[in-house]
This record gives sequence, structure tokens and C-alpha cells, in this order.
Amino acid sequence: MAIYKKPNFQRELNLKSKKVLVVDDFLNFRLTLKNMLRSFDVIHLDDAGNGDDAIRKMAAGKYDIILCDYNLGEGKSGQQVLEEGKFRGYINYSTIFVMITAENSLEMIMGAAEYQPDDYLIKPFAKEILGNKIKQLIERKENLSAIEKSLAAENFSEALQLCDLLIKKSPRNLSEILKMKGEILLKKGAYKEAAEFYNRMLLMGNVSWVMIGRGKTALLAGQYAEAKDIFEHILEKNDKVMPAYDYLAQTLLKMNDPQAAQEVMMNAVSISPRAILRQKNLGNLAYRNEDYFTAETAYKATVAQGKHSCFKSPSDYTSLAKTMVQMDNPEAGLDVLASARQVFPEDNEAKLHVRVTESYVYKKLNRTEDAVKALNEAQKIVEDYDGSLPADLQLDLARTYIINGDDKKGSELIRRILRDNHDDNEMLDNVRLVFRETGMADEGRKIIEDVREEIFGLNNAGVKLAQDGKLAEAIAYFEEAALQLPQNKIINANTAQVLMLYMQENGSDEERLSDVKIYLDRVKKADENFKDLPLLWTMYNGLISGGDHG
Amino acid sequence: MADKMDFSDILASTLHDTKNSLGLLFNNLEDIISGCRGQKCPACMEFYKLQYEIKRLNHSFIRLLSLYKAEKSQLAFNIDYHSIREVLEDAAVQHEALLNAKGIEIEINCSSSLFWAFDRNLIAGVLDNIINNCFRYTKEKVRISSFMTNGYLVIRIEDDGPGYPSSMLFNEDSNPQFEKGIDFRTGSTGLGIYFSVMVASLHVNNGRSGFISITNGGQLNGGVFSLYLP
Repeated sequence: MAIYKKPNFQRELNLKSKKVLVVDDFLNFRLTLKNMLRSFDVIHLDDAGNGDDAIRKMAAGKYDIILCDYNLGEGKSGQQVLEEGKFRGYINYSTIFVMITAENSLEMIMGAAEYQPDDYLIKPFAKEILGNKIKQLIERKENLSAIEKSLAAENFSEALQLCDLLIKKSPRNLSEILKMKGEILLKKGAYKEAAEFYNRMLLMGNVSWVMIGRGKTALLAGQYAEAKDIFEHILEKNDKVMPAYDYLAQTLLKMNDPQAAQEVMMNAVSISPRAILRQKNLGNLAYRNEDYFTAETAYKATVAQGKHSCFKSPSDYTSLAKTMVQMDNPEAGLDVLASARQVFPEDNEAKLHVRVTESYVYKKLNRTEDAVKALNEAQKIVEDYDGSLPADLQLDLARTYIINGDDKKGSELIRRILRDNHDDNEMLDNVRLVFRETGMADEGRKIIEDVREEIFGLNNAGVKLAQDGKLAEAIAYFEEAALQLPQNKIINANTAQVLMLYMQENGSDEERLSDVKIYLDRVKKADENFKDLPLLWTMYNGLISGGDHG
Repeated sequence: MADKMDFSDILASTLHDTKNSLGLLFNNLEDIISGCRGQKCPACMEFYKLQYEIKRLNHSFIRLLSLYKAEKSQLAFNIDYHSIREVLEDAAVQHEALLNAKGIEIEINCSSSLFWAFDRNLIAGVLDNIINNCFRYTKEKVRISSFMTNGYLVIRIEDDGPGYPSSMLFNEDSNPQFEKGIDFRTGSTGLGIYFSVMVASLHVNNGRSGFISITNGGQLNGGVFSLYLP
């Protein structure tokens, strides 16, 4: 039996090489914290009195350790600092982020899983506690770094091996590694193994991330009824496990029950209203369900909460304005759009969002001239725009063309959207809604069918070439198709696959491998849970390590 | 006229505010202590006593606020697997300086391969309270141990002091079915036991609930506090 020895932190913990940022609105507390840190030999030590200042400092140079108070008074909260830091890449897996709170608060466990701090410290605490915590976190980050590296390379098999090696040693952060192992199994598409893994873990206690992992496994494996049962069971036991609401709504959407999905999200925001992404999601669901009353409330909350959040976007405003039109209050919609202009003064995409929606609202107000003017301005922005526009913005633009009488341009644009997203059910629903709203339901159905057949035909011809063993021709064919449809996940996935099949027969080369990576990254960007993606990454990693051996 | 506020809400927000002031007080005192520790200042022991009382107050506030939140269904309850050794060491580090200053030593007896599923913050709140009290009631040694028995994880805190008064002895048979009404009239300690019982019983696994026991004797022939988690 090990006996506890009195640790001496000054000697054990040396933070000389670490860059540290302290964020608290209380000068007094910042000073105390800085004194503690100096006693651990911290030299590079900055502090910030509010969230904006913290973000500015994080942008200017990366910190190794960030200690941030949860409650920062006016402006951004500590949670929003964490979210923005991660969102902008100022905080990555090697950064230690500790949230300091005055108490054990419910809001702490309410946020999305990917925006959790490494740990919490509850005020007040003595120097020894801080030192102990930092020491533990440095150890944790060190034993995770190899796994994180294989994950960044999408090498799931290697990451799993590393997890298993660590688990055998039962380190103090065992739970964290087990959690990671489950997530990697899901990323790898090993659903059977993942289900067994989570079932085994559940025998040890009702840990919510384990139950959620088990539910996610069922969801990803397409066992929707089972996933629904699991998520409902979690919420029955503890109605504060917020991610369970998100996954339950996703499951219900897969089961084609958008009404039920909306109700789930309504329950979620009634328990935890301060969650901008959830409010946004609820707004979108309700809008699609044509429940404009609920949509308006949710979008209003989204706009209000976006004030200090990196998750604010112009579409929060335009969605609210569109909803107000449906609520027979287009004037209020114009006011919302005017405030969007002030919030995003320099952003071209935002300008486009606003102009497109303004044109729509003017048209509803029978201000035809203003509507045309706004549309023309929008068109001008599109012409000068560099890069590809987000699909929802393109769809808004198409609707505005149609209601301004330019059916041809509108439906041509919709065809383009459909070509990139021919099997995205959510997008298809949104397109159908636009067609319904503009009185083009029948025509729209035909357009959707046409495009889907076109893509299936295009894809099948390429697949046939590959099946007939004409791999070189298949590559040329798919590369051309991918050039035309740079965002279509199936075309990109198949392009990557034929390239890899070719290399498996003829040996790998750098140039083709880097092309494959580009195609796979496009698929990942379009749909992280694309069903063939794990298999494709495994092929890719096989080719890379094969190359190493000769 | 303004709407009438719920009195428990007023109490809670006042407590919250007071707890923040207490936090500042605690930190100022920390600065003073770290300054005078090096200089072998004779007042140092007095400052430690102050710190002990501040911690006591702070623990009372945490308990009260937790009970208030539980009442309002606002209590955060977050079960995860934890290294028991790490949790016990964290608890020891909290109180080490204070107890050492009075010549009290903390001993931890626990295998580093022991892991269990529970809410870390709530359990830490229970342990903090018991260990802090050792400042007043223990002579020279506190023993914190953890082991498994009958499918429960036991966390035990023993001291070499005079033991608990008979009015505080609780659940001496270590029987999970045993329930004793809390009598607040017997003294200020009722709330501590109430909180510990609540936290223990929130932990349920396979139809079994957690519980506590308070007895005298043990390895150090003093007070023995045990927390059983399913």
C-alpha cells in the first residue's frame, strides 16, 4: 500500500517554460492568481479583465495554460471565451484550459461535449490546489498526445492500439481514455465492437457519456428505434444530460418525425435556455415544420445570445426576418435586417445574406422596386465573390430570384445546390419547402427527381468502369466529375476510392496520395458521418504505411 | 408593488454573494500566510485558525446552496469514473497545510488501480467537510482509506481524537436500509450529516443506494466516518 507523502510543489512543479493567461474580471483575484503562479516559476504571465481582451491576447500568441473565470460580468462569459478560443484554433488539444467557478453550477455540465474545459476549479482555492491540478493536467495531456497525433492523421487503428496500451496501465485519466476509445471505435465505423465496449462499461455504473456513446452507436449503425429508446431512457433518469436531447432529436429526424424532434428540442431549451446552437437548431426545425411562432421565439433567443458568441451568424438574423414575414410582420423583419448590417459591417457573405433576405421581405411588402434593387445588389456581390457560397445561402438566393419572377435563374441555382447535395435529406426538405412556398411544388418534385437521376447515372457509369477493371479510365472519369461537383460527397468518395484501388495494384505515389487526401477531406467536410469514410481512411492509412516499408 | 420574492431565493442569492466575499477573504489570508510562513511569524498559527473557520463557513454555504438547488431540481449531478487515489489526494492537498501546521499528519491508504463511478464534486464536498473538522478534533493523525466491500466502494476517514459524541453516531450497523431522521435541534452538525446522506443516496446503481455511517473506534481509536457507494 502506498502511503501519501507530503508533496512539495515548489520543487516538483516548474512552469518556467509555460505561457500562462489569467482571465477574471476581478483585479484582486487576478493578482492573487498571478502570485500563486509566480511561485511556480511562471515567467511568461499575462492577464485579461474581460473576454474580449482574453481573445485578443490569445490571438496574438498561443498559451500553454489558460485559467479563466466562468463569470466575467458584462460581455463574454468564460464558456464563450473557451468556445471562441477552440473555434478559432487558439486552443487546441495541447492547451490546458481550466474554468474557475464560484460554485458547482448546473450550467457547467450543460454545454456541448466538444466545448468542455479540461477541468474546473471551485473558488476559493489555495496555491497547493492550483499546483496539484496543473500537475495532473500536464500529465494527462502528455499521455494523450500520441493518441491525438494518430487521430489527426485519421489513423484509427493506431490510435486504438495506443488507447489499449494506456488502459492497461490504468492511469489517473482512465475515464478520459476510455471515452476516447469509444469515440475512435465510432469514427472507425466499428459499431459492433463499440456496442460491446459500451455495454461492458455500463456494468460499472450509469455514467452518462457511456450511455450516450451506446445511443450514438445505435444511431450511427442505423438502429434508430434502439437509439431512440436509449436516449429517452437517459433523459428519464436525468433530464439534465443535454447532449441526449440533441441526439434524440437527430434520431427522430432520421425516423422522419420532425414534429417529435422539435418537441424534444423545445424541452431542451426550456431546461437550458442559454445554448445558442440548440436555439438555432430549434428555430430551424420549427421553421421547417411551419411552426413560425416557435421559430420566432427560438431565433430571437439565438440573436440575443449571439451578441458575445463566436457562433453568431448572419443567418440567425435572416432566419428571424424570414420567420417574421411568415408571422405577417415583415416590417419587424426589416428592422432585424438593419441590425444585422450593424453587427456584420465588413463581411461580404453577411451583406449577401442581408440583401437577399431584404429583397424577399420587400417583395412581401409589395415594395417591388426595392426588392429588385436589393436583388441586383446581391447579384453583384455574388459575381465578385471568391470561393463557394454556403448551400443555405444559395437556396435563399434562389427563392428570392423566384419570388422576384425569375423562375429560370432560381431553379437553375436550385439544380446546382441539388447536384452537390443530392442525398442530403435535410437540404432536400428545405428545397421542397422553397418550392412549396413559391407555388412550384409539382415542378420542384420533377427537378429534384431529374437531378437525382442525373447524379446516380453519372456515378454508376464511373462505378461500372471500376468494376470492369478499367481503373485508369474510372480515375479520369471521376476526376472530371469531381471537378464539376466539388462538394458532392459520393462523387468525391468514389474518386478517392478508385485512385486508391489503382495504387493498391500499381504502387502508391505522393501526388495521387495527396489528391486522395483532398477528396477525403471534402467528404469529411460535407458529412462527418458519411458511412464509407472509416473504410476509406483505413485504405488511405494502409497505403501511407505501405509506402514507408518500400 | 414588486412581486413578492420566494424567501429561499433571497437566502440563496445572499448566500451566493456572501460566499464570494468569503472567497476574497480566503485568498487575502492565503497571501498573508504565505508571506509569514517563511518568516516563522508567531501569528501564523492564529491565521491558520482563521483559515479553518473560513473553510468551515465556506463548506456550510456550499452545502446550503447544494441543498437549495436539489430542492429546486437545479443540482448538477454528473457521474463519471474517477481514480479514487486522485480524489483522496486532492482532498488531502486541500487541508494539508492547515493540518500540518497543527502537527497533524494525513495518511492515505488506497490502491492506485481503484476506479469508481460517482459525482466527484459532491463527494469532494462531503470529504472536505469531514477532513477540515479534523483540525479541531484530531490529535496527530488522520487516516483516509478506500477499499471495496460487498460490491460497495468504501471511503473511510479515521482520526485519533476523542471520537464523535453519541448524539452524532449514525448507522452503526453499516446497513444500507437504515434510515434515521435528522434532528436539527441536537446541534449545528445536523446539516453536515443531512448533506452527506443526501449525496450518498443520490448514487444509485443496480437498484442499490449509497449510504454513510458514523462510528467510533477504528484503527486510530477515534472517530470513523464511512461513505459507501454502490
